[in-house]
This record gives sequence, C-alpha cells and structure tokens, in this order.
Amino acid sequence: MTDKIKQFLETDLLEKYLLDNTTQEESLRVERYIAIYPEVSTVYDELQDNLEAFAKLHAMETPDGLKNKILNKVKAENKEQSKFYKYIAAACCVAFLFATASFFFWNQNKSLKEENTIVNNKMKTIEDNMKQQLEDVRNQFIVLNNPRTKKYSVKGNLKAKELKAVAYINPVKKLSYINVRNIPNLPENQCLQMWAEVDGKMINIGIINDINDKNKLMALPYGENAVGYITIEPKGGNKSPTIENIVANISYCN
Amino acid sequence: MSTLLEKHIVELLQDRNEKAISLLYDHYGDTLFGVANKVVRDEDLAQDVLQESFVKIWKKADTYDSSKAKLFTWLFRITRNTAIDKLRSTNTKTDREIQMDVSDVYNLGTESTKPELMDVKDNLHKLESKYQIVLEALFFEGMTQQEASEELNIPLGTIKSRLKIGLRELKKIYGAIAMFFFLIFLI
Repeated sequence: MTDKIKQFLETDLLEKYLLDNTTQEESLRVERYIAIYPEVSTVYDELQDNLEAFAKLHAMETPDGLKNKILNKVKAENKEQSKFYKYIAAACCVAFLFATASFFFWNQNKSLKEENTIVNNKMKTIEDNMKQQLEDVRNQFIVLNNPRTKKYSVKGNLKAKELKAVAYINPVKKLSYINVRNIPNLPENQCLQMWAEVDGKMINIGIINDINDKNKLMALPYGENAVGYITIEPKGGNKSPTIENIVANISYCN
Repeated sequence: MSTLLEKHIVELLQDRNEKAISLLYDHYGDTLFGVANKVVRDEDLAQDVLQESFVKIWKKADTYDSSKAKLFTWLFRITRNTAIDKLRSTNTKTDREIQMDVSDVYNLGTESTKPELMDVKDNLHKLESKYQIVLEALFFEGMTQQEASEELNIPLGTIKSRLKIGLRELKKIYGAIAMFFFLIFLI
C-alpha cells in the first residue's frame, strides 16, 4: 500500500463519504480514489458491509399497518406524478398552440406591415407623379397662354428632313417646352435624343421614343442663352451628344 | 440479502414498479426503522421518518447508482438524513445529550421481538461500549468525527481509532453470527 493510499485512508473522508457527509469536491476525490485504487475500494466495501451489520444490530420490528401506509403514500405519489406529467403535457400543448398562433399572427402582422409600406410607397409615388404632372400642366398652361411666350418651329436638317417640332419658350417665367410633331424613320439601332446646353453644360433631356401623343409637351431646362439639340444616337441613347449627328437645334435667345 | 434479490429490487425500482417498495420494506424495513428510531428516539416520529424515507426512495429511484454505493448504503443515507432533518425540524435535539447507555442498546423491550434480530442483538454486548458509543454517534447521531470528539470529550485521534477498531470488531462479531447461522443451516 503506497503512502498516498495510507494517507488517504487515515483521513476520515471515506467514512464521511459513506454517511453522505462529504462536500461535492470531497465526494469527487473519494470516488476517484475508489475507482483508481482497489485497496480503497475494498476498504469502502468493508465499511458498507460493517454499516449494514451495525444497522441490523439495531433493527426494530415495524408496527402493523405501517407497510400499507407507505404503499398507499407511494401510490398517491405515483398518481400525483402522473397527474403532474399530464399537466406538463397539457401545458406543453397549450404552449405549442400559443407559440404557433403567435407565430401565425406575427407573420401575418409582418406581411400586413410590408404590404402597408408598399401601398404607402405606391401612394407616395402616385402623389408625387400627380404633383409633378399637375405642376407640368400648370406650367404648360402658363407657357401656352402667356403673351410673352415665343413659339419656334423646329425642322430637321438633311439627315432628318421629316423631323418637325414646335418649341415654346417664355423668358419671363423661365420655362421652355417642346412638342415633337413628327420624327423621321430611323434604322432600328438608332434613336433621336434631346439635349440642352445650359450655362456651358450639356444636359441629357431624354430619348424621343415615339410620337403617339402629338400634343405632348416635353419640358426643357431653361437657361439664358441656352441651346437645345436633337441628335441621332445609337439605340438606348448616349451619355454625350454626337456633334456630327445633330439634326436640329433650338436657340432660346431670340 | 442476496445480490440477486438486490439487483431485482433495483430493476423494479428503476422500472417504476411499486412492488420494489414492498420488497424493500420486507427486507430492509426493520433495519431502517431501527436507524430512524436511533436518530429521533421516538417511535411515532420514527414511523413518520420511515414513511417519508420510502417516498423519497421512490422519488429518487432513478438517481441510485450501484457503482457508487450498495443498495443498503443508499437506503441508509436517505433514512438517516430524513431522520436528522425531522429531528432538527421538531427541535428536539437541543437539550439532548449523548448518553449511550449500553443497556439501552441491547435492551430489547417491546421494540424488537424477531428471533433472528434477538440473536444478533444478544451478541451486541460483545462489542465494547467505548466502540458502540463512537459508532452510534457517527452513524446515527449525524455527527462528524470532530463533533463527536467535542460532544463525547474524546480526542479526535481516539475517535478515529475507535471507529476503525469498532468496525473491525463488529465485523468479527457479525462474521461469527453469520457462520453460526450457516452451520445451523448445514445441520
């Protein structure tokens, strides 16, 4: 027997463990010793046998009826336990239903909120468009009815003879519009694009796709001494005008 | 108790079969009742303790680990701890003094009339009282060795040695009784 085991056995740890008087840490230490050293395990087994023998020396006959009382208590405990498990099961079902319902409502709420945001955005876009269009119509009305408005007839050059447009420019209100009446037939890979040179900067006004609505007025940015251009550009438009393809220009200054 | 029966009881316990409690009562009831009575020193209280202990045994059945303790050790721990708790809750321990009258130990009175127990108890006097006092203080009174040393006014080293020698002597006595029964059985 090594000194380590002797030292361990000399402490009262094993006896304390036998009687369940050890701390958790002490119990772990004792269990480790029992598992590792057969000598300790043997002593522990002897202690257990001795305890049983000593306890048996003090045995007392149990009173009549005590066994039945105990069995009834255990039965009652069993019933309570099974009741408890039933309650737990019921509570789990309720919790599950509640969780499912909550998830359903949360999901629905989320969808409705998203839908609401989409509808609000659409409404805002429509409102903005309407305001823009109303403002446009108002400006068109001002331009077309104002006596100071000048009307320019725009015709295409040799490259686009069929191009006909009318520009309306009001220097007082600083508004300008163009009404394209006719456009030449262009190859499929080409289009007409409008530009305006304002204060030395070339601004893209947009592509003239079709002229289904011959009465439609396109707003032009206004600037002192501004010049409008119409160019032939590759399909889809260009970032800057191709100077050699200018087919018409509108000068605001006159 | 045979190991086979012990295994059977453990299996029944872990299968939540109430028959386990009946078997435990039949085989350990008297011993555990004696343990409870030794701690609380009141038969009515000891009955309550035994009832509570068996309910605890039933509830804790799945925590029993045969690799850590023999079945009796586990039952003893539960019963003893329940008895100590009961004693503390009824506040009867305060003025109790450790008076281990040897005659009280083997005076059977009405508390034990089973012949097989009488045979064992008759032999208890063979264990010197100085060992009995220490063993009872440690096993039944819920004292640590230090507490027993203070209560009994015996040095700690003597407590330790009396515990070891007492257990060794007890083993001899118990072994002799077992041999006696074995010889009777053979005859």
